[in-house]
Amino acid sequence: METLGFLMDGFAVALTPYNLMFALFGAFVGTLIGCLPGLGPANGVAILIPLAFTLGLPPETAMILLTSVYAGAMYGGRISSILLNIPGDEPAMMTCLDGYPMAQKGRAADALAISAIASFAGGLIGTIGLIMLAPVLARFALSFGPAEYFALFLLAFATLGGITGKNPMKTVIAATLGIMISTVGIDISTGTQRYTFGVLELYEGIDFILAIVGLFAISELLFFVESRMGGGRKKMNVGKLTLTFKELVSTVPTQLRGGVLGFISGVLPGAGASLGSFISYTLEKSVIGKKGTFGEGDIRGVVAPEAGNNGASSGALVPMLTLGVPGSGTTAVLLAMLISLNITPGPLMFTQNADIVWGVIAALLIGNVLLLVLNIPLVGFFVRLLSVPPMYLLPIVTMVAFVGIYSISNSAFDLYFMVAFGVAGYFLRKLEIPVVPIILGLLLGPEMEKNLGHALVLSDGDWSILWASTLAKCFWLVAGLSLVLPYVVGPVLRRRMNAAMKESPASD
Amino acid sequence: MTGLGDRLLGLGLLVLAVAYGWVAQQWPEPFGGAETVGPETFPTILAVVLVAGSIYLMVKPDPDAQWPLGRSAVELVVSLVVLVVYAMLLEPLGFVISTTLAVGTLSWRMGAPARNAFLTGLISAVVVFVLFNYGLALSLPGGILEVN
Repeated sequence: METLGFLMDGFAVALTPYNLMFALFGAFVGTLIGCLPGLGPANGVAILIPLAFTLGLPPETAMILLTSVYAGAMYGGRISSILLNIPGDEPAMMTCLDGYPMAQKGRAADALAISAIASFAGGLIGTIGLIMLAPVLARFALSFGPAEYFALFLLAFATLGGITGKNPMKTVIAATLGIMISTVGIDISTGTQRYTFGVLELYEGIDFILAIVGLFAISELLFFVESRMGGGRKKMNVGKLTLTFKELVSTVPTQLRGGVLGFISGVLPGAGASLGSFISYTLEKSVIGKKGTFGEGDIRGVVAPEAGNNGASSGALVPMLTLGVPGSGTTAVLLAMLISLNITPGPLMFTQNADIVWGVIAALLIGNVLLLVLNIPLVGFFVRLLSVPPMYLLPIVTMVAFVGIYSISNSAFDLYFMVAFGVAGYFLRKLEIPVVPIILGLLLGPEMEKNLGHALVLSDGDWSILWASTLAKCFWLVAGLSLVLPYVVGPVLRRRMNAAMKESPASD
Repeated sequence: MTGLGDRLLGLGLLVLAVAYGWVAQQWPEPFGGAETVGPETFPTILAVVLVAGSIYLMVKPDPDAQWPLGRSAVELVVSLVVLVVYAMLLEPLGFVISTTLAVGTLSWRMGAPARNAFLTGLISAVVVFVLFNYGLALSLPGGILEVN
C-alpha cells in the first residue's frame, strides 16, 4: 500500500503539464530514434543528454524526458523491422521474422498496429513488474556494504557481454579501459593528481558525457561513411488496417507471456532485451506448435517479440534504479544522466529522491499510453521519415551532438576530445571491442574505487573482506560464471538465433 | 597472418597498461602517510588486469575485421578532417557558416547532390541557431555574422 502512495505522488509529478509535455516530446523523438537506421536507442539518448543538461531542466523532468525517449525507441524499432526487414535496433531483430512476411502479404498496417498494441502490453507488464520488484530490491540492497558493492560492480561488468557475447575477454578489456579513463583527474580521497600531465582541462577528469557522445554518435557516423550506405531505401506501402477485434483478442495470451518473459530477462544481468524478445518468440513458437504459421507472417510471431522487448526495457530499469548498476547500453546512458544531475543512484535514491524515482516510473506508465496513442494514427508519418536517407540525417545528428557538447562548457577543447573518442570508438568497434563496457567503466570506476577503499579501511587492510560475506561470494561466483559460460553456452545460443533468422524464408 | 589486428591492439594495450601502471608508482606519498588504499592502489590493479587481457589478445586473437581500403579510407579521413575543422572554425566563423559547411560537406561526401547537401546544411544550421538563441536562450557563437 505504501508503494501505491508513492506511485500516486509519482503521478502528481509526472502529470504536471510541463512534465507531460516533455514526456510527449520524448515519446515522439524516441519513436523516431528507434525507427531511423543508424540511430540506436543508446545513441539517441546520449545525444539528448547534453541538451537536457544545458536546458537546465529540473532533474525529474530531465529523467522523464530520457525515459520516454528510451521507451519510445523500443516502440520505434519495430517499424523498420516490419516494413524493410531491417531491425531499427537490435532487440527488434526477431520482429523481422514474422513482421516482414506479414508486410509482404499486404498486411503491413495490421502488423504495425498489433505490434504497437503488443509493445504497449509488454511495456505495461514490465512497468508493473518494476513497481512491484524495485522497492523490494532497493530495501534488500540497503544491507550491502562496500565489499558487496565492489563485487556487484564486478558482476555488472562480467555480465555486460551477455551470455551470447562473443569474446568475454574483450568485455573485460573494454571495462578496464573505461575505468582507467575514469581515474584521470584529481583523486577524490587524497588530492593526488593522476594522469593529468599538467593539463588544466584534465584536472576535473574527463567528462563522461562527451566520451559517450563521441563513442556512440561520432563512431556511428564514421561507420556509415565507411559502408557508404547513404542512399536510403525504397518506400513501402502501408495499406489499410484490416485487423479484427477477434484477432486482437486471440493474441492476448501471447502478449502476457511475452511481456512477463521479457521483464524477467530484462531484470537478470546479462540477458537484456535482445534475448528477451528471442526467448518470447521461441517459447511462443513451441507453445503454439504446429497450429501456427511462424516465419510466414503469423500475427503471434509479431506480438511475442514486441511484448518481450518492451517488457525487457522496463525490466532493465530495475537494477539501474535500485542498485545503480545498469545492465544495458541505454540504461548505462540513463545512469550517466543521473550522475550528472548529482543524484547518487542506488537504494538510497528510493528514499532520498523518491519524487524522481516514482516520477520516472509514473512517466513510464503515462509514456506507454502516449506511445500507443501516438503510434497508431501517426504510423504513416514515421514511415515517411524512414525514407529520409541517412546521408542527410547523420550529418544533422552529428551537428546536434556538436551543439550539445559545445553548449555544456562553451569550449572547443571538448569538441576535439569528443572527436578523438569517436575515432577511438570506431577503431575499437572495428576490433570488436564493445563500447558499452567502456562507458560503464567510466561511470562506475569512481564508485568502485571508493567502495574498495571503504572496504579496506573497515577491514584494516585485509583484502579478504572483499569475498568474506556469503552475498559477496555469490556475486564473485556469478561474475566468474558469466565470463566462462559464453565459451560453453554462447556458441550454441548464437547458432540458434542465427538459425532462427535463416529458417524464415523471407529474410535475406 | 590472421588476427593481426588483435595482436597489434594487444601490443598497444600492453604498452599502455605498463606505462599506466608505472606512472601510478611515481606519485608522491599522500600527506598524512601511506594507507592500504592510496591513490596508486586501484590503478595498479587495473594495470595488471589490462596486462593480462592484452597478453590474452596477442596469444589468442580473433580473426581480422575487414578494414576499409582505397576510397572508403579516403572518405573516412575526409569526414574526420571535416569534424576537426568544424570544431576549429565554430567560434571564429560562427555557428551558421561553419555548420552549413560541415553538414553540407559531410552529406555531400556521403552521396547527396552538392546543392541539396549544402541546402540541408544551411537550413538545419539556421533552424538550430534560431531555436537555441531565441527559443532556448542558449548562446551559440554568431561569429562574423554577429551584429553588434
